[in-house]
Amino acid sequence: MATFTPKVVDGKEGLTKKDLNSLWYRWQVGWFSSSSYEKLETHGFAWSYIPFAEKFYKDDPEGKKRLLVRHSQFYNTEPQVGTIVNGIVASLEEDIALGGDIPEEMVTNIKTTLMGPLAGLGDSIIQGIIVPTLLSVGMSLASSGSPAGPIFYIISWLVLGLAISYGMFRYGYKMGLSAIDVLAGNESRRLMDAINVLGIIVTGTLAASFISISTIVNIPKGSDYTALSDTLNGVFPKLFPLIFVLFTYWMLNKKQFGPTKVLLILTGIIIVTCLVGLF
Amino acid sequence: MGMFFPALICGLFCYFGAIESANVLGTTGSFYCLGRPLVAGLVCGIAFGNVEQGVLCGVAVQAVFIANLSTGGATNSEITYASYGGIGLAMATTHDPAVAATLAVLVGNTFGLIFYNLRMAFYSVFNNKAYEAAEAGDTKGINTWHLVIPNICTFLLRFVPVFLAIYFGQGVVDGILASVPEIVTHIIQVLGGVLPALGVGMLMNIVIKDSIQMVFFLFGFVVCAFLGLGTIPMVFIAAVVAYLTYLASGKGAAPDAALAQSSDAAYEDPDLF
Repeated sequence: MATFTPKVVDGKEGLTKKDLNSLWYRWQVGWFSSSSYEKLETHGFAWSYIPFAEKFYKDDPEGKKRLLVRHSQFYNTEPQVGTIVNGIVASLEEDIALGGDIPEEMVTNIKTTLMGPLAGLGDSIIQGIIVPTLLSVGMSLASSGSPAGPIFYIISWLVLGLAISYGMFRYGYKMGLSAIDVLAGNESRRLMDAINVLGIIVTGTLAASFISISTIVNIPKGSDYTALSDTLNGVFPKLFPLIFVLFTYWMLNKKQFGPTKVLLILTGIIIVTCLVGLF
Repeated sequence: MGMFFPALICGLFCYFGAIESANVLGTTGSFYCLGRPLVAGLVCGIAFGNVEQGVLCGVAVQAVFIANLSTGGATNSEITYASYGGIGLAMATTHDPAVAATLAVLVGNTFGLIFYNLRMAFYSVFNNKAYEAAEAGDTKGINTWHLVIPNICTFLLRFVPVFLAIYFGQGVVDGILASVPEIVTHIIQVLGGVLPALGVGMLMNIVIKDSIQMVFFLFGFVVCAFLGLGTIPMVFIAAVVAYLTYLASGKGAAPDAALAQSSDAAYEDPDLF
């Protein structure tokens, strides 16, 4: 990796590597600290810019106020993949602080425009694919009570999660606004679609591995009784888990029910079917 | 061994693993790592001096919360209270993974969610103070109202209830477990097996963008269910299918290049002449 040299404009030095690391690390630490339903990650952004404000706006109290206020506007995205926004914003703020001609409103516009798409992208990659995949591998290693499972998850996730978080930040800073073109480009869409396919298949695997329900009904067979679940397993193993997960997905997706409502419906169904003696 | 030390550890980690906890580990090392039930199982196992049983409880709880999601600040269940409260209480009482899963759901979806929602409503007060500080250019004020005070509150909201629940909850949980009728225990066990469907359903809601993609979901389900393959081989199969999809999606742009290449090759092939 090439050594990092800060930008210099009119004898004023821009962000050093240390400044950049501090912007990233402060976001990692403080992104959600004062979260409320009203403001979510908003003030985490302002907090990450405190050393920046003290360094570049030491002699410009009005500029400092404007900087802190524009980073106290509503903001919410996925905190790890979303660091690309922090990176892009760092390159814009550096330019503004060095007297460049980027309008200050642009920073807010970029944040507001990018936070939605990156929340969707980030949630599906991090919470939807990487974390469940690594966890399910960890769980299979831990099934006999071995600490190897949690240790596998801790190490693999820290390596991958930190690489994504720091990598996206530095990429956003390096590319500036052109990062958006790459992100929206054909090649990255193909890559995302492919990763998404992996995620969907793993989701199917999770459904088959972790949802467990089988009927306790016995059916008469000659003079004897045989378990219905044995017969079903021969025809279609895990049929009931499949029915339940498709029903749940249907409620969430087609009926647009909230998770709490779905939880209550599932609980109701299980209580009734257990009392009837089906499960 | 007394309950004091394990209760202390569970309470502390319930703070360190929380989504809104601002600590040196960063969110990648705290919420996404220490906050997962699988990791909480190991931590509780060490705290209670029984690593094997702790990990087993962690696995059972993690299965229910495999697809825990928090999007736009809303969450289906408070995973950190569920992890350290549920596993901690189970380790203090029966060591039974099924009990751990039930307690985790109970703690996560009731007490945990109530505490979480109260906090998410109440912290607006701190947000206003932090905004006023920004307007005044007061970086110390932002630090106070964004970081210091919310974190003290978060610590109290996380540490105190979990510590007290584990320190004093042993007798209560044992008492309840001994007195519930058998049918209730049975329903709780069946429900514990079905609840991962909620998480998986929410996950499907995120990753499935087009109903035709249900094919991939059913592929994963059927291959896993019929062949009885474990997670690790399934991840490899999924990666290969994903790679094939990636190659296939390039087709739209590729024909021109392929055509040009093959016609070049034809001209250069001396055997044709």
